[in-house]
Amino acid sequence: MSKRKELEAKLIARLRDDVVCVEKTDPRTIFIDVKRAGIREASKIITTAGARYLCSVGYDNIERDGTLGMIHTFALDDSDQFVCCRTSAPVGDPVIESITPDLPSAGWSEREVTDLLGLRFAGHPKPKKLVLADDWPDGIYPLRKDVPHNFVPKGAEDVAYELDEAPPGTKIVPVGPFHPSLHEPEHFAVYVDGETIKGCDYRGFMTHRGIEKLCTTQISYNEVPFIAERICGICGSVHATAFSQAVESAAGLIIPRRAEFIRTMMLEFERIHSNLLWLGVAGHLIGFDTVFMQAWRVREQIMWLCERLTGNRKTYGMILVGGVRRDITPEIADDIRRVMKNIEDDLTIIHRAIEKDTSIHKRTKGVGTITKQQALDWSLVGPVARARGVDIDARRDHPYAAYDEMKFEVPVLDSCDVWATLVIRVVETFEAIKIVRQCLDKMPGGEFFVEMKDKIPAQRHAITVVEAPRGESVHYVITGEDNRPERWRVRAPTFPNLQAVPLMLLDEQFGDFPIIMGSIDPCFSCTDRVAVVDLQTGQSSSITKAELDALSRRAQSPSHSLQTMLRG
Amino acid sequence: MWLTSKIKQILMVMKPGVVTLDYPNERPPVPENLRGQPVFDHQKCIGCGGCSDHCPARCILVRDVCQELRVMLYDGGRCTYCGRCADICPEKAITMSNSFEIACDQKEDITTRMELFMMTCQRCGRCYEMEKTNAIDRINLKGFRYDNLEQRALIRKTSETFDPALLKESDNYQRPSDK
Ligand code: SF4
Ligand code: SF4
Repeated sequence: MSKRKELEAKLIARLRDDVVCVEKTDPRTIFIDVKRAGIREASKIITTAGARYLCSVGYDNIERDGTLGMIHTFALDDSDQFVCCRTSAPVGDPVIESITPDLPSAGWSEREVTDLLGLRFAGHPKPKKLVLADDWPDGIYPLRKDVPHNFVPKGAEDVAYELDEAPPGTKIVPVGPFHPSLHEPEHFAVYVDGETIKGCDYRGFMTHRGIEKLCTTQISYNEVPFIAERICGICGSVHATAFSQAVESAAGLIIPRRAEFIRTMMLEFERIHSNLLWLGVAGHLIGFDTVFMQAWRVREQIMWLCERLTGNRKTYGMILVGGVRRDITPEIADDIRRVMKNIEDDLTIIHRAIEKDTSIHKRTKGVGTITKQQALDWSLVGPVARARGVDIDARRDHPYAAYDEMKFEVPVLDSCDVWATLVIRVVETFEAIKIVRQCLDKMPGGEFFVEMKDKIPAQRHAITVVEAPRGESVHYVITGEDNRPERWRVRAPTFPNLQAVPLMLLDEQFGDFPIIMGSIDPCFSCTDRVAVVDLQTGQSSSITKAELDALSRRAQSPSHSLQTMLRG
Repeated sequence: MWLTSKIKQILMVMKPGVVTLDYPNERPPVPENLRGQPVFDHQKCIGCGGCSDHCPARCILVRDVCQELRVMLYDGGRCTYCGRCADICPEKAITMSNSFEIACDQKEDITTRMELFMMTCQRCGRCYEMEKTNAIDRINLKGFRYDNLEQRALIRKTSETFDPALLKESDNYQRPSDK
């Protein structure tokens, strides 16, 4: 029995009339519509059927039928399918049962929808603000269609995020909003007992740029890839490709094979440079700047290559809906081969020089451990998950572009620590070089862009995943009128991974905070959404903003111990 | 193991030596197809506004100050050098030059302003034969347009015939706020 039939049978057996329909049109995506009473049950049935939770998408349907829509998306990794479970709630009574108690990683997605669309979730364990600024006025939901994209509400004074209460017997060390070990503004409150981390609360989304809103109100389909690319400074092509694929899939547009090969190559270039970048940053975070210098030196070659190829070091601007913008000429192909060879040689030297270095081992082995089960529960993705024995890789499980023709290994380790992440990212760089070579060898001729003659029908839904260097990115597109998407949801890999950071930090040394944080290769700009971890609910004195300010000032002067500050 | 690793690391560092370029004294050649500052050719431009419609950064503004005069303003301060405008332009009036050292302290230095004399199609206001056949690239804002050049704001409103009221309204354009 196919997965679709199996799911349908189970859902109908358990939920009966609550199942509205199970769409049969798209072989890869199973769209299930349920009434809102059955949503939690439905998501339970879907996860027990072996699906992995991806993210949730909220959308404004008020003009059409007076409802707010909600979609929970899942992936069936062994059968290369996606499950999108849709429901809706009338705007007058916007409450849906939360699925977070069953799936902790849905926590942020739901909070985000609450912030941006005003849909509330009954039974959510932590219904706090996530995305919006603390002084954002109540009752204005920026993703609703009636709020203009350039709306500027009046700010308010003296509203601050209420941090979680510290577990008993711990002190708070604030890290951020600006901190040398974070490359972007984020605020962590780390609860420590002596040097040992006992928990942490996170307030981020300070770099939320409203990209999704902008792209659904201002620009048209083929400009979105350029903005999508700017979601992240590192994995730009990933987002542009994911968006383009989603639109192509919604429009039923088949792009030329050559374009798919070029896309694959761009994605692998990005993986190489990103992994080298990360390797350097990881070295830097543990105080090993030689690795930083050398990894970045090697990386520079790929930046220059991309400049020659695409016209820019980063934000390549190569991907369009319908194909790619520039072709690979024979001269540039030779250039690529040469650069790949150099990078391979140089990286081998670095790899040999550091693989047995005891000082790196001491700083990374056994650090940031969480178990495979926890990694699964929190739906971790990418190298962070693969370092914990979770064997997932969107390139292999849900092949897109030309990955179905590529041969590559997916390294999986089970030592569950930062060291494993490091090894995986180095191995993946070598794999990426292999893939680039295969692309060059097998690349078919022909066109690299295709025209789309008919308008894209509105109200089509499509989901795609693309494996970014740091994990899988999920894009969900609902097509709209006016030559632009009506809703576009981006879930960057840091979104699930960051939610599990508090767990990784638990019982680690405070000095390891930067490398643990760094090990997920956090990209706050692309995530910008944050949550805190519920460790245990304990009674303790909460601290006020003034105290926290004072605390952070004291924290910098070693003569005052934190303890004296928080006593009483 | 520690010692052998350190020896390997020393060799790893010695071999490449110093790689940092002595920029700006030493300037490596700029790649041929670099996407640098876009350059507008007012001789070729027909004022179709396609570039403005499709600029992802929305930094090419069009303002019809009267029936016959269209002012186009390229605001380099917000340009992302994506080259989309050059792709779209049906007349090849935009070229992505390879000049990239364009940091400056006067916004005007990287602004291009073109004033174009326009003719009006008797049938449909201002219409253009769109060379783009691709449905997802189709140019969407047609006719007369009223962006606010002072505030450098693209206002997505157009009219079929020249409308002084809209022009006036866009003079006082302000971002929506709740007070
Ligand atoms: S290069 Fe890109 S951002 Fe700059 S004006 Fe052209 S379309 Fe706009
Ligand atoms: S697209 Fe070309 S012809 Fe049309 S307004 Fe822009 S520069 Fe002029």
